[in-house]
Amino acid sequence: MAPVSWLFAAQPRARVAALRTVAYLFVPVDVLLTTAWVADHADVPGTLYQPLYVGRLLDLPAPGPVSVRVAMVLLVVAAAVAATGRSPRLLGGAVAVLYAWWMVVAMSYGKVDHDRFAFLVLLAVLPTAGPARPGDRTADEASGWVLRCVQLAVVATYLLAAVAKFRFGGLEWATGATLSRAILRRGSFLADPLLDVPWLLVAMQWGIIAFELLSPLLLVGGRVTRWFVLFLFAFHLASFAGIGIIFLPHLVALLAFLPLERVAPAVARAVRDRAGWANWSIRGIRLRSGS
Amino acid sequence: MLTTGGRRARVVATLAVAALTLLGTRYSEDEAFPFGPMSMFAFRTEPDGRVDVASLRGIVAGSPQEVEISPATFGLRRAEVEGSMGRMAKDPTLLGELVRAREAIRPDLPRVDYLRIVQTNYLLENGQQKGFRQATVAEWRR
Repeated sequence: MAPVSWLFAAQPRARVAALRTVAYLFVPVDVLLTTAWVADHADVPGTLYQPLYVGRLLDLPAPGPVSVRVAMVLLVVAAAVAATGRSPRLLGGAVAVLYAWWMVVAMSYGKVDHDRFAFLVLLAVLPTAGPARPGDRTADEASGWVLRCVQLAVVATYLLAAVAKFRFGGLEWATGATLSRAILRRGSFLADPLLDVPWLLVAMQWGIIAFELLSPLLLVGGRVTRWFVLFLFAFHLASFAGIGIIFLPHLVALLAFLPLERVAPAVARAVRDRAGWANWSIRGIRLRSGS
Repeated sequence: MLTTGGRRARVVATLAVAALTLLGTRYSEDEAFPFGPMSMFAFRTEPDGRVDVASLRGIVAGSPQEVEISPATFGLRRAEVEGSMGRMAKDPTLLGELVRAREAIRPDLPRVDYLRIVQTNYLLENGQQKGFRQATVAEWRR
């Protein structure tokens, strides 16, 4: 039963609490700011609606001006309240369902994005952890399973991206001109000069295949995981600089590999030290002015 | 500690999602979202092939010159215009519906009187661009 105990390896509840706060705070950012185009689908003619399987299976109506706006308000409010940790199962469940529908609105108009598989898994599993307070260092299996699921979804995103390249692009995908195409279509001033160095773009394509196939190393833990996560953040930032694409929801899910429970206490300590220093200096000033 | 039932339910859910994802990766397309293949940049572009880019051009009120118009003002991303281009070529009245959508989304912008989808083909040689050609895919006039 080793794989099962690995799936449930206990993790601190505080880590889930921290990830939950980030995830639910990210939802309003995503909806209102970084993928604000989703809401514009409300007014796109219904004739351009190209339902996903899930839309046809559940017989979902085409998004309209009213349904999209109501869902948007409910989603943003539910996520903002859920970020406080209140009613984690009820509110978390509501956020997961509303966000899933939001994605139907996003992806049903002829273009599907692949930057949020792991984030959807994260929203789906978070409510199962139940109450988790930020300071609670107790490790339990429910938290362990939540984090493991998100980690597996992150690895799947990379590993299956390599598989898809073999399926659609063939084994010779890496020798093609896919990055030339990406830069021709969306290149920034930083990436455009690369068009004159096609061999470098081919080398980058080999590099992409390599790190996607190596992504299961993320699950090793320790220094290997930390360096891999750091590399992935750099990769996604470089993609953003080069072709304006960033997998933000995926990057939130990527945090599931890090000891997030240490962040809040470290910040609190820093604030306390500063406050202590400020008190001390204020006292110092008082003492001097009083003397 | 989780109960036996709680553990079992989680194992079943994990396996179910894993199975759907693997099946989607092997057999389905984007419409199986979120279980479809992770096909971002998965298609191979031939180093001596071509790269297609769609753009929207039109004439807006108050300007005699044709200008490029951002798909975002119609509530669409460029890739969505490209994903719907076949339909618009068959039925150009869809472009008229897009113009009406723009009037709802961005009422502050000038009226569009003429709109066309332009497909630009960049021609590659050894992965480098060596020229391009353009064609109108669909057009609509008020």
